[in-house]
This record gives sequence, C-alpha cells and structure tokens, in this order.
Amino acid sequence: KTDNTNPYWVAFKSVADEMKLKLDCRIFPGGTDSRYVRRVGIPAIGFSPMNHTPILLHDHDEFLRADIFLRGIDIYVKLIPAVANV
Amino acid sequence: MTDYANEPAVANLRDYLRIRSVHPNINYNECLTYLRRQAVELGLPVQVVEAVPRKPVLVMTWEGLEPNLPSILLNSHMDVVPVFEKSWTYPPFEARIVDGVIYARGVQDMKTTGVQYIEAVRRLKSRGIRLKRTLHLSFVPDEEVGGHNGMSEFVKTDHFRNLNIGFALDEGLASPDDNFVVYNAERSIWHVTVTCPGK
Ligand SMILES: [Zn+2]
Repeated sequence: KTDNTNPYWVAFKSVADEMKLKLDCRIFPGGTDSRYVRRVGIPAIGFSPMNHTPILLHDHDEFLRADIFLRGIDIYVKLIPAVANV
Repeated sequence: MTDYANEPAVANLRDYLRIRSVHPNINYNECLTYLRRQAVELGLPVQVVEAVPRKPVLVMTWEGLEPNLPSILLNSHMDVVPVFEKSWTYPPFEARIVDGVIYARGVQDMKTTGVQYIEAVRRLKSRGIRLKRTLHLSFVPDEEVGGHNGMSEFVKTDHFRNLNIGFALDEGLASPDDNFVVYNAERSIWHVTVTCPGK
C-alpha cells in the first residue's frame, strides 16, 4: 500500500521528495517475487532506480548507463536508512 | 568521458554480470561464491537456504540497533533470461563498457539492483552508520521462471519467518523519462517470460 497507513512508504516517499525524485506509482505489468512476499502479508515496493533508460529487460543489447547505476547507489544510501530507521 | 572501468562499484557489478546465471538449468554456485565474497568484504554473516534442492537462497544480514523490530528485506534475483547471442552488438556476458554504457544480460533485470544494495551498505558501513532495524539482503533463484522453486517456497520456510520482515523492496522497471517508477501491486495473472529472437 502506498498511503499514509504504511510508515515505510511514508519514509520512502519523504526521502524521495528530499532528493527531488519524481515518482510514478503503478501496478507492475507482469509478476515478480514480490507477489509471494505480499501473499504472506508483507508490504513490498518494486523499485529499480533507472530513469532516462529505455526498458530493455529480456531484450538484446540490454544496457544501462554507468552514471545511472552509480546514482542508484546514492539513492539507496538515502533510502535504506530512511526505511530502516522507521 | 569518465573511466568507469576503474570505479570499484562498476567493477564489482561487471564481475556479477559476467556470471552466466542464465536459464535453463542454472548452476548457482558461482553466484554464491561471488555473494559470499561480498559478504566477507562487508563483514556480514551469510545464510544459504535450500527450500528446494540446488535452488539456493542466500541471505546477508546486517543487524540493527533494535533487532527485535520487524526487519527490512532488500530482495533481488540471481537468474537472467536467455540470450540470442547473435542478436547482440557486444557479448552479453562480457559486460563491456562503451561510451559510459554497460551492455550485459541482467544489467537492468536485475543484477544491478543487487549490487546497488551491496554498494549502498558498503558505503553506510564505511561511514560508521548503524541502522535501527535489521537489514536482510536476499538473493533468490529462478524468478524468471515464476519463482516456484525460489521465493515462492522460501516464504513458506521457518527460516523466512524468523527473518521477521516488516517491509520489502524488490525490482521495478527502467523508465525512459525523468520519472522513477514505483510498483505497489501486481496484476494477478500468470506471467510467462518469452524472449523472441527477432524484432
Ligand atoms: Zn527481474
């Protein structure tokens, strides 16, 4: 759930806002392992910090810019303490 | 152009991308070796659970200051979908860097995310930071074939219950524009991964 009843989401959102990340909440178009985690009652968020990147999963020439990868580490450095210190 | 090849986090990612954990019939041993090495470097204990034989789940644990609180799970899968090598501009398990771009099977889905969790923990630990809640980094097999021998069975184990997880992060998708996409639910459909050889 991405609303105020989930304190982890509140923490996630506030740190994303602080970093001025534009978030777009959606329903995942396929199925990932998160469905098993949610099925046992644990809230789960699917998030890969890759913007400015064409969707090439499962495709030929799957690629990622190195600077996007490194920026993703910076994002987790803020995100992880936010959710772990709730 | 920055010389990304000499950036330790990039080098670490490329090592993981070069492991051919590609369907079908994946042997996860090389992934486990790689991940155990990461855990040793981070100073984190590791547990490997085989809810299904030869389908290991590896969990690294960073204990929080209040370990009785529900923990945080950072999950990623070790497997990648097959390739049609001839259709690739660069070899898909070489992780070549061309003009600051890394080409590899798994670089979006989702070895990068697993390494980002590791590198973020490395940086936090090196700054002497301690977290309130315990953090578990899980690396699971067989997501791309439905997770029936991976996460689906793992969540039913006592080992999983004992992790006492309160919140989990897992993969999303790339986004071509400025936005970061966050997925808070999934369609409850049967998802079959089919990689087509042509465009
Ligand atoms: Zn994936």
